[in-house]
Amino acid sequence: MNETAKIIIKGRKVIGGVAEGEAIVSKWPTMGLNNFNPQLGIITERDHPLKGIPLTGKVFVFPTPRGSGGWVNFGRSTAFGTNPIAMVYYKGNALTICGALVLDRPTVGECEQDPSKIIDTGDWVKVDADKGIVEVEKKDKPK
Amino acid sequence: MHLTREEEKMLKSDDWVTSKCMEHLVKYGEAAGAERLVDIDGNVVMPTFSSMIPELGIDVTDPEMAGKRLKAFTISRNWSVSDGWEDIGVTPWNDPEDHRRRMQILKSWMRIGVHPINSCAYYLTQTYLPTAGQYCSWHESSAMPYGNAILGAKVNFDLGAEFSVAYTAKAPAYDMRVDENRVATRLVNCETRLKTDMDYDLFGWAVGEAMTVEVPVMTGIGKPTQTQILKMNAELNTGGQVRMYHVPGLTPEASSVDAALKGRKPVEIVNIRREDLKRAYEKMNYASDEDVDFVYLGCPFYSLNDLRRAVYYLEGKKCKAKLWIVTDDWTFKVGELMGYRQIIKKAGGVLLAGACAVVSTGVPPNTDVMAVDACKQDYYITGGYYPRKLEVWYGTMEDCIDAAVTGKWRGKWPGGE
Repeated sequence: MNETAKIIIKGRKVIGGVAEGEAIVSKWPTMGLNNFNPQLGIITERDHPLKGIPLTGKVFVFPTPRGSGGWVNFGRSTAFGTNPIAMVYYKGNALTICGALVLDRPTVGECEQDPSKIIDTGDWVKVDADKGIVEVEKKDKPK
Repeated sequence: MHLTREEEKMLKSDDWVTSKCMEHLVKYGEAAGAERLVDIDGNVVMPTFSSMIPELGIDVTDPEMAGKRLKAFTISRNWSVSDGWEDIGVTPWNDPEDHRRRMQILKSWMRIGVHPINSCAYYLTQTYLPTAGQYCSWHESSAMPYGNAILGAKVNFDLGAEFSVAYTAKAPAYDMRVDENRVATRLVNCETRLKTDMDYDLFGWAVGEAMTVEVPVMTGIGKPTQTQILKMNAELNTGGQVRMYHVPGLTPEASSVDAALKGRKPVEIVNIRREDLKRAYEKMNYASDEDVDFVYLGCPFYSLNDLRRAVYYLEGKKCKAKLWIVTDDWTFKVGELMGYRQIIKKAGGVLLAGACAVVSTGVPPNTDVMAVDACKQDYYITGGYYPRKLEVWYGTMEDCIDAAVTGKWRGKWPGGE
């Protein structure tokens, strides 16, 4: 098997800590309130490609937030034990900061490149939030 | 994060609540990448759904909280059904005991200084508004752009820290509290003539989706009424996260496109055409069954004029489907004095204050198909019923009232250029 170089994405530490796991990637801007169910840890937004798939135990990657302050529901998943183990995003704002504080898991935001365009669901991702570094190992390595 | 000498003292305050709040604000400010705190000289909006402040482990009903007062002027958003609840026909909201229990929670917040405005469009009834440049801590989709763009106040979202912000009147300087972040980076040209309330509702959605978190300067949007501004704001901040925008001549922070962009070139120019509105209209019409069970009007909560228009249109008719017309506490009372509550009741509908099908009450039992006149209510309500498919029709207020009366959806895309 060819060992390809790992992809490194740099961003800003929002919540410190280190975590690694499989990525679950929303290519759409993510929306909270009723369109995320924190009890089940699933996106419930109509026609969303990840609808119904738990974020539980995964590294949750997305481009930007959108919609209501109920975005913080992503963070509330921690109270139900359905939470992703880390978050990585491109451009955030007060929603992602408040959401990350409630989630209380390693979070890297304001990445130099849009991680949702580089990372795909199933890739292995190591999030070193203390250093603001995200390491990506592609699931489908180029031959 | 740099703290002033006063803030350092607050961190070690003898008042245990002050020191707890300051510790939380420091943690919050560091996550946000803020360099300092600012003084809240506008107001704070407090969620009062529960008596708990989980981030601090404080229960506001705790005897130790007796005598404590919030430093910032603070109001409540909608949290329940504050008036007309006897008529709602949905448990537990129509249960007097349950209502009493929820009022007890609200009263414990009132004791520390939360004024019960109970509205999502609280800026219409809070009586004391921030002026340009004042710092606020708000939430709610339609409210954020109202405060930032229309009033020119520096309004930020602090969910999970509102109590700390209100108690200390301090908040981290980041996002919309920083001048540089309020500068437009995108130019949006509206190339279709916006006339109706629905036009502005759909325009807001289309721009929101195109912008997500970016700040646009917009041209060609015509002369919106207050209702149209509210609807546009709600959708800008639902289809996207447009919590700030500029419209020269309408918003106070920039008098020209160039000033809004601070003389820089826009990163992107987006032209919104009729077909973009139509695309949003089609997305909102998430239904195929034309038999409507339930109609919700009042997202954001209807103003007195919206209520008047709905009542005049409904008067003398009889509803086949359930109809809720929702407003804030004050408008409810004036509407009651005007006889509007009775007219709606006679037609088989209900006038409610504070009720939101998305945020609090849900839809009435046995609702499979509903109709709304707001993208926001439309797009969120379905997520709460997953995996069941709740069908939603979207159209004008008149389309919705017609559906309530006939029990059939007959709304159509109106065309236009």
